[in-house]
Amino acid sequence: MTEITIEQVEKAIDVASDTVIRNEIYFSDLDGLAGDGDFGTSLATGFKVIKADLPTLDKSAIGAMLLKISMLCSKHVGGSSGPIWGTGFMKAGMASKDKTSVSLEELAAMVNAAVEGIMARGGAKLGDKTLLDALIPIAEKMKELAPAGDAAAVLKAVTEVADKAIDETRNLVAHRGRASQVGERSANTPDPGIVGVATILYDWCKHYGVDYTPTAAELNR
Amino acid sequence: MKKFVNEPANFVPEFMKGVLLANPGLLEFVPEFQLIKRTDRPAENKVSVVQGSGSGHEPAHIMAVGPGMLSAACQGPVFAAPPVDACYETIKSVATDAGVLVLVNNYQGDRMAWDMACEMAEAEGIKVKQFIINDDVSVEDSLYTVGRRGVAGNFFVIKACGAAAEAGADLDTVLAVAEKVNANVRTMGVALTSCIPPAKGTAIFEIGDDEMEVGIGIHGEPGRRRDKIKNADAITDELFDAVAQDLPYKSGDRVALMINGLGGTPISELYVLYARAHERAEQAGLTVVRNYVGEYCTSLEMAGASLTLLKLDGQLEEYLDAPAEVAVRIF
Repeated sequence: MTEITIEQVEKAIDVASDTVIRNEIYFSDLDGLAGDGDFGTSLATGFKVIKADLPTLDKSAIGAMLLKISMLCSKHVGGSSGPIWGTGFMKAGMASKDKTSVSLEELAAMVNAAVEGIMARGGAKLGDKTLLDALIPIAEKMKELAPAGDAAAVLKAVTEVADKAIDETRNLVAHRGRASQVGERSANTPDPGIVGVATILYDWCKHYGVDYTPTAAELNR
Repeated sequence: MKKFVNEPANFVPEFMKGVLLANPGLLEFVPEFQLIKRTDRPAENKVSVVQGSGSGHEPAHIMAVGPGMLSAACQGPVFAAPPVDACYETIKSVATDAGVLVLVNNYQGDRMAWDMACEMAEAEGIKVKQFIINDDVSVEDSLYTVGRRGVAGNFFVIKACGAAAEAGADLDTVLAVAEKVNANVRTMGVALTSCIPPAKGTAIFEIGDDEMEVGIGIHGEPGRRRDKIKNADAITDELFDAVAQDLPYKSGDRVALMINGLGGTPISELYVLYARAHERAEQAGLTVVRNYVGEYCTSLEMAGASLTLLKLDGQLEEYLDAPAEVAVRIF
C-alpha cells in the first residue's frame, strides 16, 4: 500500500511552484492569445510566496498545510486564478483533514474534492475550455487507478490525460473565463490553465523519474 | 495620460486615505485589505451589509459606506476584483449574530472572490448570505460576466438594504429586500469616450470623436452597438425605451428615476438627459416619486451616462426615504 507523507506533499508543491515561477512569461503569453495576458504573472506571484513560506507553514497535518496554502492563494494570486486555485487547495485540505499521510485512494478523493469545489466556484463544466477540462478527467483517472497502489503509474496516466486535454480542447471556443470574451478568437489557442496543469504534471514526472513522452507541442518546448 | 496621481500603483489606497480623512469619526480604514468600515459597526442585533469590487466606479463602493448604507466595503485594484482575503476580512470586520449580507455585482471575478470569502466566513461560524445584482439590460454575457452585468441599480439595492438593516430587519428580510429591488430595477448606459486606468496609462478602448457606444459596460465592455453620436434627446429616448420595455414598467407605476454620470460628463449635461427622461416617464404614465441625478456608479473619467428605473412599492419608498449618510456629500 503506497502512503504519501506530508513531506512528499510539501516537496511536490515546491516542485510545482518552481514550474509555475519558471513559466511565468510563457503562461502569460499563452493567456495573451485569447485572454488578458495576466495568468502567468498572477499565478507566479502567488507561488513565489507559497515557495518562500512552505518551509515554515503549519505541518501538523496535510489538511492544515493545504489550508494555509489556500489562504496564500487567496491573498497573493490575482484575478480569477486566486479563488480557483485557492478553492482547490482548500477543498483538498478539508478532504485530508488531520492526516499526516494519505493512501493513493485518499489522494484521489482529495483531488476529486478540489475539482468539485472548483466546478462549483466558477460554474464551469467539461468542454468550457478551462483547466477543468484537464482536472475532471484527471480526477476520474485517479479514482480508477488508485486502488492498484502504483503511484508512478497514476502520475504517468494523469499526465497523459492532461497532455491530451491540451490538443483535445485546442479548437474549442471558450465559454467561461476571460477567454470567453473573444469567442471564436479563442479557437486554435490552447487554454493556459490546461497547459499549466499539464506542465506541472510533466515536471513531476521528470522529478520523480517517471518516463513519459508528451505529444502536445506546449510540453515539448 | 493627464491625471492627479502620485504613484499610479498607490492610486487606490491614496484616495481611500482621503475618504478616511474627510470623514473623521464616521469611518475606519484598514490599508492592508483596502477596507473601509463604519466605526459604529458591527452593532448588536443589526445585520451588516457589505460590498467590494474593483476600483474606478466611485462613489461605489467604499464611498457608499455610512449610516443607512453599507456597513463596510473593500476595494480591488482599478477594474479588478479584490482578493479573497480582503473580502473575507470585510465580512469578518462587521460580523454580528444577526448576520452579514454581501451584495455582489455580477462579474465573474467578484462572484468567485466573494463566494469563497463567504465559505471561509461560514466555516468560522459567521452567518452570511450573498446576493447577486444584475440590472444592466444592455447585453446577456459580457467580457467579465455570465448573464447581465450589475451597474448603477446597485445604489438602490444598497440604499434599501441599508435602510432595512438600520431598522433592525433580520438577515432573510434584508435579503428579500435585495431581491425585490433587483427584480424591479433596470439600467442601460451610453459612453461618449473611453477611460484611462492610472496603472495602465492608456485608454481601455478606442472610440471615434463622433461615435458613441450604446449599452456600454462600466469597465468599457462593449454594449449593443457602436453608432454615430446623436442629440441628447435621441440618446435619452433610446436608453429610456430599452430600460422601460425590459421589465416592463407600466402606466400607473410609481418609480425612482436615475440619471447617473459615468465620470466625465458635467452635471449640467446629466440634467439635460434627466429633463427628457422625466418627460418620457410621465408620457408613459409613470409617476416619478424620487429622482437621482449625479454620479453613483462611474467608470473613471469616461464621458457618458446611464438611465435607471426602479419600480416602487410602499416598503421601497419608505426605505429610499430613510435617512442615510455617505462619505461623499455637498453639505
